[in-house]
Amino acid sequence: MLNREREPLIFERSVPGKVGMDLPPLDVPEARDTRPEHLRRGPFQALPSVSEVEVIRHFTRLSHDNYGVDDGIYPLGSCTMKHNPRLNERVASLPSFAESHPLSDPLDVQGNLAALFTLQEWLKEITGLAAVTLQPSAGASGELTGVMLIRAHHVALGASRRVILIPDSGHGTNPATAAMAGYEVVELPSAPDGTISFEDVVDHAGRTHPGLLSLVQDLGSEIAGAMITNPNTLGVFEHRIQEIADLLHGTGALLYMDGANMNALVGVARPGDFGVDVMHLNLHKTFSTPHGGGGPGAGPVACTAQLAPFLPRPLVTREGERYHLDWDRPQSIGKVHGFFGNFGIALRALTYCLSHGGDGLRAATLRAIVNANYLRKRLEGTYHLPIPSPTLHEVVFNDANLLPAGIHTLDVAKGLIDRGFHPPTIYFPLIIPGALMIEPTESESKAELDAFVAAMEDIAREAKNDPEALHQAPVRASLRRMDETTAARKPVLRWI
Amino acid sequence: MRYLPLAPSEDRALLDTIGVERAEDLLVGIPEGLRIQSPLRLPAHASEMEVLRTMESLASANRSFHSRFLGAGAYSHFVPAAVDHLSSRQEWFTSYTPYQPEISQGTLQAIFEYQTMICELTGLEVTNASMYDGATAAAEAALMGVRLTRKRGTILVSRGLHPHTLEVLCTLFTPREGLRLVEVGLKEGLTDLEDLKAKLDGEVACVLVGYPNFLGCVEDLRALAGPIHEAGALLVSVTQEALAFGWLEAPGRIGADLAAGEAMSFGNRTGFGGPFLGFLAAKDGAKREMPGRLIGQTRDVDGRTGCVLTLASREQHIRRDKATSNICSNQALVALRANIFLQLAGPEGLRGLAEQNAAKAQYLRDKLLETKHFFPLWETPFFNEFALGCRGDVKALQAACREAGILPGLDLEPYGWPGAMLWCATELNTREDMDRLAQVLGAPPC
Repeated sequence: MLNREREPLIFERSVPGKVGMDLPPLDVPEARDTRPEHLRRGPFQALPSVSEVEVIRHFTRLSHDNYGVDDGIYPLGSCTMKHNPRLNERVASLPSFAESHPLSDPLDVQGNLAALFTLQEWLKEITGLAAVTLQPSAGASGELTGVMLIRAHHVALGASRRVILIPDSGHGTNPATAAMAGYEVVELPSAPDGTISFEDVVDHAGRTHPGLLSLVQDLGSEIAGAMITNPNTLGVFEHRIQEIADLLHGTGALLYMDGANMNALVGVARPGDFGVDVMHLNLHKTFSTPHGGGGPGAGPVACTAQLAPFLPRPLVTREGERYHLDWDRPQSIGKVHGFFGNFGIALRALTYCLSHGGDGLRAATLRAIVNANYLRKRLEGTYHLPIPSPTLHEVVFNDANLLPAGIHTLDVAKGLIDRGFHPPTIYFPLIIPGALMIEPTESESKAELDAFVAAMEDIAREAKNDPEALHQAPVRASLRRMDETTAARKPVLRWI
Repeated sequence: MRYLPLAPSEDRALLDTIGVERAEDLLVGIPEGLRIQSPLRLPAHASEMEVLRTMESLASANRSFHSRFLGAGAYSHFVPAAVDHLSSRQEWFTSYTPYQPEISQGTLQAIFEYQTMICELTGLEVTNASMYDGATAAAEAALMGVRLTRKRGTILVSRGLHPHTLEVLCTLFTPREGLRLVEVGLKEGLTDLEDLKAKLDGEVACVLVGYPNFLGCVEDLRALAGPIHEAGALLVSVTQEALAFGWLEAPGRIGADLAAGEAMSFGNRTGFGGPFLGFLAAKDGAKREMPGRLIGQTRDVDGRTGCVLTLASREQHIRRDKATSNICSNQALVALRANIFLQLAGPEGLRGLAEQNAAKAQYLRDKLLETKHFFPLWETPFFNEFALGCRGDVKALQAACREAGILPGLDLEPYGWPGAMLWCATELNTREDMDRLAQVLGAPPC
């Protein structure tokens, strides 16, 4: 549905006297005012006075300017934009779940605890690890929890180690997390096949970057652990992961796995079987919970029995038929969320698990891998594939073939918008200049994949025939390219 | 499998194009020995009806209450129907972070409006697109306070913060060398000014104070701000019940430099504690130290106004280990619900709701005191929550309530106040509910 005009800010629609909410008459005496004068709230300047009709139309019209998974393929690499089943939403809104209170007597919330416990058990089986906490609110929160478990482990052994190794292809959250946990980050260079280099790597400027072997030798017991995404952000499985784990364990360091790309492994391989000590999962990626325009997600952490005593408290446990919140965990790193994490998201993920079952989870993984490899095969040749290694659930192309025509990755992304598609992740991973990182997920039909390929081919043709048209894109969206420089130079971050 | 668009003929076509016999042939990048050898020990897939039945049966294992008097960081408020309907439009809930502004103006403009209203409520100038919850927002505020005051490494925390917030702060500060948390005690339910003054020195970066605090007491921020600012430190207000902003002056107008807290009360349910909505607001000069996403207004090449993600050079995807925080996913959809709620409420609705909450809580307190089980601990101003001393066996009183279908107030013993309870009343609690509660607790019928 087209909007008649750009929807104004709600504050511009405000007319004093209008109300969008009314209240029943007060059935108790009015409040005695016990506040000191200076603690009484003064007048409001920036809350709108509008009716319910206007609020509903405002958010409906604004919604027309958004692209969602229900509109079509949403091929953001490493974001796993899969279908969000409506059953998940229905379950999460059941009043007995939605209205339950986090500080209730555990006997009164046995259903909640059973749901959390069951999800923990599923995630243990899926990851092959011994223990799970559902408390972290998002992937980055899970990373921080995981790295703090590593830290707690070393502290318990009386060791102080200062370094975390992170591949140069890793997500920005990895180094940011390591820094928040008090660690220094040392980068692991990538080999030509896109995986972590064991040998030293000499870059184009002639500088040498020590590889894993040198780093382990030079830093030795300074290394607390490594944070590795597997498959990595190129969609390539770190095929030497077991050797990496052994090398780290040999120096007393631990292996953290960023589970952002777990959609390539569920039901196919288990991190616990290849040496991972601790990892997080993104319920909003792998387990189908909605991204909500940027959140909320959930970032459960799974770990070995060795690290389990350090998990955040409380943990959900079971004795016979009864579920408990176990607060008595003397070695716990403490809480990482005010209550128990994003419970509503955990309910959705459990519903997804029960719907798919073990067999369906594996089928979904295989289909995600097939879809990504189909796109790879169809687009190879038209777009440059900088790393030809076998890929799983995603594939990274770049703009090398288009540069002679003056067309960059950004132009491809904007060209896709004009053709009715959401662009892939662009300019990431950082090791691929002009990267176009494509992850279709298992949710796409052959027809949708073919339509995406046709659009990408059309853009490549236009790059040759009429590059200026691509520089102008998008012209069919509600706005054209935005002046982001001025936005950052003179920030306007609120209406008044 | 209803979620997979699988048809044998199409699968064959996909595999043929790729040039493999079976999907499993594409696993070649994973060494054989690292693949699972036998299927996962998990139940098989199930129909929508079966799964719904299973989940409904779990839900029914929870006890339902017809009236609730428990707050303590998770408040039961009315959720207008429009909030549920609008936020379940797929354009809002299935979309990703608005990295492509031309097809994300809905989300971007909504967050811009949300930022405006959070600034209005806190009396500050800049806020981000949301934090995970009140506890983590408080921790991020403390870290921000450290960055803003440079070399100072002590954070003073009032004992009146929510105990879970204190624990999250402790978790996140433990790994940070050179930073330490020091607790400031309470007197009559409020931060002890003498203890605060004794602990303020040139090392203190910031002071975190509840507003209202965990015990429901309204701290006089202006009185605290004087000595804090004199010592060159920052005052951080931490609000666990954001509806209080309809009744209490904005923290930024009475001395707070940073305001953090929990805004789940705006259009969300208690949902066993999450997803909730953390907020963090600051003065304009602090914007480059803000964690998380910021939305700013700008123009497109044709001069039309729109919004974009901005000041991203603070963030992890650009700055990596030098970022202000590792936060990436936030609570966008919860913030959208708060946004819809606040637009429906408007100034009149918000003030009216807050006044009803204050009135109901005062009525509840009077009724509870009439039962003779309870006695006042202090007479400080409160909003919709208050602590009372309890003469009887707290657990027995709670059990009587639960049996009667009433969710009772919190036993404060595990949090260090034995023989005390924390009670909350909101617009959802009718006079009848409160009279009945008093009856259950054995008051003379009125």
